[in-house]
Amino acid sequence: MTQPSDPSPATIRLVLVDDHRMFRSGVKSELVDELGQGLDVVGEAATVEEAVAVITQQRPDVVLLDVHLPGGDGRGGADVLAACRPLLMAAESPVRFLALSVSDAAEDVIAVIRAGARGYVTKTISPSDLVAAIRRVADGDAVFSPRLAGFVLDAFGTTAGEVAEIDEELDRLSVREREVMRLIARGYQYKEVAKELFISIKTVETHVSSVLRKLQLSSRHELTAWAMHRRLV
Amino acid sequence: MRADPDTTLKCLVIRGGTPWRVRCGTPAGGVRCHDGGMTTDPTSPPPGADRRLVRRRRGSVVAGVATGLAEHLRIDVRIVRVVLVVLNLLFGVGLLAYGLLWVLTPADAESSNNPRRLPVQFLLVGAALVALGGLGVTRQAALPDVLRPALPVLAVAVGAVIAWSDVDTFERHAWLGRGAGRWMIPRLVAGAALAATGFVVLFTSGQGLALAWDVAVATAAVLAGLGLVLTPWVAGFWRRYEREQAARIRETERADIAAHLHDSVLQTLALIQRTEDGAKAARLARAQERELRAWLYGGVTEEADTLAAAATRVTHEVEDVHGTPVSLVVTGDRPLDDDGEALVRALREALLNAVRHGAPPVSAYVEIGADEAEAFVRDHGPGFDPDDVAPDRLGVRESIVGRMTRHGGSAAVRRLEEGTEISLRMPFRELPQERAETPETPATPETPTSEPPNAPENPGGPAPVTPGVAPGVTPGVPDPQTLTTTAQEDRR
Repeated sequence: MTQPSDPSPATIRLVLVDDHRMFRSGVKSELVDELGQGLDVVGEAATVEEAVAVITQQRPDVVLLDVHLPGGDGRGGADVLAACRPLLMAAESPVRFLALSVSDAAEDVIAVIRAGARGYVTKTISPSDLVAAIRRVADGDAVFSPRLAGFVLDAFGTTAGEVAEIDEELDRLSVREREVMRLIARGYQYKEVAKELFISIKTVETHVSSVLRKLQLSSRHELTAWAMHRRLV
Repeated sequence: MRADPDTTLKCLVIRGGTPWRVRCGTPAGGVRCHDGGMTTDPTSPPPGADRRLVRRRRGSVVAGVATGLAEHLRIDVRIVRVVLVVLNLLFGVGLLAYGLLWVLTPADAESSNNPRRLPVQFLLVGAALVALGGLGVTRQAALPDVLRPALPVLAVAVGAVIAWSDVDTFERHAWLGRGAGRWMIPRLVAGAALAATGFVVLFTSGQGLALAWDVAVATAAVLAGLGLVLTPWVAGFWRRYEREQAARIRETERADIAAHLHDSVLQTLALIQRTEDGAKAARLARAQERELRAWLYGGVTEEADTLAAAATRVTHEVEDVHGTPVSLVVTGDRPLDDDGEALVRALREALLNAVRHGAPPVSAYVEIGADEAEAFVRDHGPGFDPDDVAPDRLGVRESIVGRMTRHGGSAAVRRLEEGTEISLRMPFRELPQERAETPETPATPETPTSEPPNAPENPGGPAPVTPGVAPGVTPGVPDPQTLTTTAQEDRR
């Protein structure tokens, strides 16, 4: 992912939450060394309790959140999100979460997204892509990896040909959303998606955010099953 | 089937102690007798008629002893039953024999999944209780002397039989309360009550209910006292037992995990440390990561006979051969058929093409829908000039485009601003009526005929045909979004 054309003027304040110290310092040096302009790591945490404390105290713009964390009720990142719910919902400068994990398990990914994370990337992401994802999340947009797009297509029955009649329908994707998701699953960046569909990047972001909203609010039974399994409902 | 030691034990008991010609073995057919006793016993049934004494659940009333015995002795089951009932009149000998046989003979193969024979047993219980009640009221005055002690004994025996009748069909842990049949508890209670009543009648014979009451109160008092004394001890014992059980399970799990990690991760790490070749180390790490991931999170098992599994398999193959990681996303699934197989092979070629000539990251997306499957392979290389085709790129045309076309599908190569994308589409011709619409026409891709044979599958119209181009490949990959002008036809 390349950086958006209009970089945010303000510095993005960042909190890293991961129980692996090596990973935290690795990410930190990557972010600071290479692409650090406009990024400031203001806190770190290794457990659910530490994370909640640091986030509440610092009120960062973006939290990089590991899916698997010790502490809390044993649900890792989802516990942090649940405890920080008021900050997420704040009308003024809400805290945004970007989930980061080595796990490919659908239930882990869906769990953090449904708990309020605005995106999901795997830890193998390149530093420049990570910075782009952080900026995107800071702007209030959603970040979908190809894998997350695949989960969405599966979970909403899109593969089986289910398409929403009206865009607002929560349990199915609209035709356009499906096209966007398919292109993301094929490995297209947002700007490539935009070019492919003859729409603006902003429109792509709107579609993706709308899919994220459906993912968080839908009561589709596959999603509910995942959520039940993770004791989220 | 049931455990061998069990069977062997029964075998010994029966052969040593009873006159019946019994050979034992697992009902599945293997004779497990320790002395190999098929031919040594002169009283064995004639050779060829391997009629072991087993309890037959089919057509049985209680436990199948009579049925089994009748089959073994080759006489009518009704005779056996009558004899058993008549024997009961002699102080319950028939019942004793029945019980012994029940305990000592194995059940046949069907028994383990046979439904419970519940009503019969409860009828028996009811009848016996009614009889006992009658005895209590009449104070046994109307009964002949011989039967007076026999009836309570009978009650005790029937009660015990009912209470314990499931022990042979349930595993011990199930019997202890987990996963037991829903009739387990009522049956135990009924059996115990019946046996208790029998005891009471036996010990208060002729004295009436007043004494019975006294005895019951005294017994209850003693039992309560015993319970009071023993409960903490039993509870402590039980807790300890559960703790040990849990510890053992944990230990087993830990050992399993340790064994797995030792065989996989540790070995790979050792290999990586010893290897000088960075690419090889990366390949090893990637393969190990995949294996560990599959072990931890499950997911598509590569061995399965489905399209998704096959696609995953070839992707990993290509990764292993070339050491370039491929990020694969698969949605949907269906059983693997010939067309699916062709798609998978074409996918493999496309992936090989991407890792050889393109640049990472390489990603693949396979979408398996109800009536067609699509696959996309994308790399981020500089793209290639159609006029400057390396000789081995002919493989793309033949093994990807040609293969897809022969199976009624299509393939296209597009050049993107950054990289190249190969898209494959395979409609499934599964339903007969669909088959009629799109007749199976095996086409040779080399023939520069004027009309693609599978035109019905290309709603966009006949493909512009240039010599040497595979028919059926149109710029219109069936996505609505491939309207873009960057789409570049496979003109090589």
